[in-house]
Amino acid sequence: MVAFEVPEVDYTQYTNRQLAAIPLAVLAVALLVILGWYVFTGAPVQLGMEFTGGTELRAQTSTPPSEIPAAFSSEATVTPVQTTQNTYIVTFGPEAQNIANQARNNLQPVQGQQKADIVKSVQGTSASFGESTQRLALMGIGLAFVGMSVLVFLMFRSFVPSIAVVISAFSDIMIPVALMNLLGIPLSLGTVAALLMLIGYSVDSDILLNNHILRRSGGFYESTHRAMRTGVTMTVTSLSSMAVMAFVAYLFGIDLLASIGIVLVLGLATDLMNTYMLNLSLLRWYKYEGVAK
Amino acid sequence: MDIRDNWRVILLAIFLVVSTFAIFAPGVGGDSTSSGAVVEETDSGPTNLKFGLELSGGTRIRAPVDGMTAEVSLSPQTQPGTVEKSVAGNLSNVGAGDVKVRLARAQNETTTVEVFSNNVTRDQLTSALDQSGYDYSNVRSGVTEATRNTVVRILRDKISKAGLSGGRVQQVETAQGEHFVVIEMPNTNRSQVEDLVTERGKVQIVAGFPARNQTGNDTQYRRVPLLSQGDFQSIGTAQESRTLGPNVPVVLNQQSAQNFSDSMRKFGFVTEGVGQCRWQTNPDDPGYCLYTVVDGETVYAANMGSRLAGTFRQEKFTQSPNFVMSTTNMSEARELQIHLNAGALPASLNMEQGTSYFLAPSLAEEFKLYSLITGLVAVGAVSAVVFLRYGDPKVAAPMLVTALSEVVILLGFAAAVQLPLDLSHIAGFIAVIGTGVDDLIIIADEVMSEGDVSSSRVFQSRFRKAFWVIGAAAATTIIAMSPLAVLSLGDLQGFAIVTILGVLIGVLITRPAYGDILRSLLTDK
Repeated sequence: MVAFEVPEVDYTQYTNRQLAAIPLAVLAVALLVILGWYVFTGAPVQLGMEFTGGTELRAQTSTPPSEIPAAFSSEATVTPVQTTQNTYIVTFGPEAQNIANQARNNLQPVQGQQKADIVKSVQGTSASFGESTQRLALMGIGLAFVGMSVLVFLMFRSFVPSIAVVISAFSDIMIPVALMNLLGIPLSLGTVAALLMLIGYSVDSDILLNNHILRRSGGFYESTHRAMRTGVTMTVTSLSSMAVMAFVAYLFGIDLLASIGIVLVLGLATDLMNTYMLNLSLLRWYKYEGVAK
Repeated sequence: MDIRDNWRVILLAIFLVVSTFAIFAPGVGGDSTSSGAVVEETDSGPTNLKFGLELSGGTRIRAPVDGMTAEVSLSPQTQPGTVEKSVAGNLSNVGAGDVKVRLARAQNETTTVEVFSNNVTRDQLTSALDQSGYDYSNVRSGVTEATRNTVVRILRDKISKAGLSGGRVQQVETAQGEHFVVIEMPNTNRSQVEDLVTERGKVQIVAGFPARNQTGNDTQYRRVPLLSQGDFQSIGTAQESRTLGPNVPVVLNQQSAQNFSDSMRKFGFVTEGVGQCRWQTNPDDPGYCLYTVVDGETVYAANMGSRLAGTFRQEKFTQSPNFVMSTTNMSEARELQIHLNAGALPASLNMEQGTSYFLAPSLAEEFKLYSLITGLVAVGAVSAVVFLRYGDPKVAAPMLVTALSEVVILLGFAAAVQLPLDLSHIAGFIAVIGTGVDDLIIIADEVMSEGDVSSSRVFQSRFRKAFWVIGAAAATTIIAMSPLAVLSLGDLQGFAIVTILGVLIGVLITRPAYGDILRSLLTDK
């Protein structure tokens, strides 16, 4: 069997500044995107239906997609489902009402099915409820992040290694959020779950690296290489499984799992960069210059 | 093989066996009474796993209860009925039945005035209270907990009466302190659920008494309907008082009070009929009874009490047309209250606020299958990478077996506590496999670093080092997820709980066992 090995990177070639510059630049761009989004749209991220309110209908009908919006009294957006023929996801704004009845009355059932079978699922969220969910989700992410930071500081008990973990985790969340904006993935409860998972994954590899460098015998570069061998394997494993999951779930039309998968793929890729460039440069500075002072 | 050295593996094996039993053995966890399930599902397939709406189909409506509540301070002599009438009089389009005063029963309770209407604003209620001259504070939208409990109880009762299996009614609170009633009904669409919530039965109070027949020489029983829904000004909440025991207080409106009082005297309830109801013991010769009849079915029979009979005799009943219907215990009183209301909710649910969710059972079946396939594919990808990386089945195979056993144990737990699985739980399972494999990679790399593992002692020390990282990572994940596990409205709660449980099971049971398996494979050479 062919075994893949994690390549050894010669970090001595690069200065701390060089190493940290790239992830920090990417983070800065990401924050700019988020800020810009906030300035132009009034929200830092593209909010999904669960947060803005609205109705999502999944219908199986022989009515062609171009004629579907005309069947409803409210404005509608139609997206076909990849795996099932004649099935569409139709979304409406928060003001839409009685969507299921309109669908049953105005759409044509596919051959061999009845009017009642047109509506496969409907979910509606009122605008006010969406707003409260939004606050809850923000609070959840905020509390999770603060809790994680406090715990990291308690575990390492020194400033630089702890802040390195916290900054990496922060960046691991912000960069995927900016990418979500650019790729048009709205923030849903599923993606919030994914962002929270990212905190866990991100901290995993950071703690591993810190632990190897700070607590083990052996030189800095040797420890780094050993930590990388384990850490990169971990992240690549998760990354590949999430990529496959996102793809399969997208084919099946299971939105929740697909969006979790995509966000995790983006986040884990970001984590590779942040852990082995940003966190590493901070640790090297701390080990060679910070401690000596 | 020494048992002492391998106790972790043995523990894992025990957990796996118990979990498999919980998942597949018939009858395990079948009689859960928690989690608000009204009627157990009859058919749950070959496993004991319960599926939530997203994986079984049905309707979920999450709606707030309409109303406004103010805390008031009343003098001890004030009658709740007076306050209700006065406040309702100062509000437009609100009847006295829509205003409810709850007196404080204990030190830490406050007396509240609730208005059950969706078009009364905060300002209208405050000005109505000002006009009536009551001191008030803390006027807020929503209703009291007691009212919400009544709403939930009535809804549960209706669902179980309708014979709908698997229906659940719960209360949830958001982080902002808003309250919602959640109704979950498998195999039902939204309009059916709305009908169930709003429909009312027909309730009557019927007098049953022995009377002389036409010829005047024989007695036979007569039943005369006396009161129906429209005759009540209000129906109180079931309560337990020191002098009367458990009861439901009711107030009649003026006109029906006169009729009721006249009939009671005419039918002999106030003289020979006092305390003469034997319906429970002798339904063929019941004596003088006041029956509660819901949709034609007699559900309760009450005695005429001597004190009430007195007020009828003195024709004082119309001055304050209220009486209590006593029951033998509190749950009977609650039942009676529901019957008297004929399934009407004290306050309506605002279906336009909150959320609604409907999923056709056929699509749910697809989701169940597809999410299983998606999960398996994700596991497949993990396996491929792990085998490629280590190239040694001795390391990689137990890794996968261990990661999967975490999921089996979690599923066993879900089956044992009858947790209804939804898509968010599936996402949680995938997260658990992900972090689980990560941790196993840490263990494997640590143990195999710096040459061969020659002895148990070397192994132990390396394993302990690896465990520090795993423990630290697990602690952060748990901390990160715990706000959602506690705070949420349910959608992310399932995900957070599964992830936390999975991490705990992983750190305490499966990952140590993987260490032992790896040791015996590596040191026995």
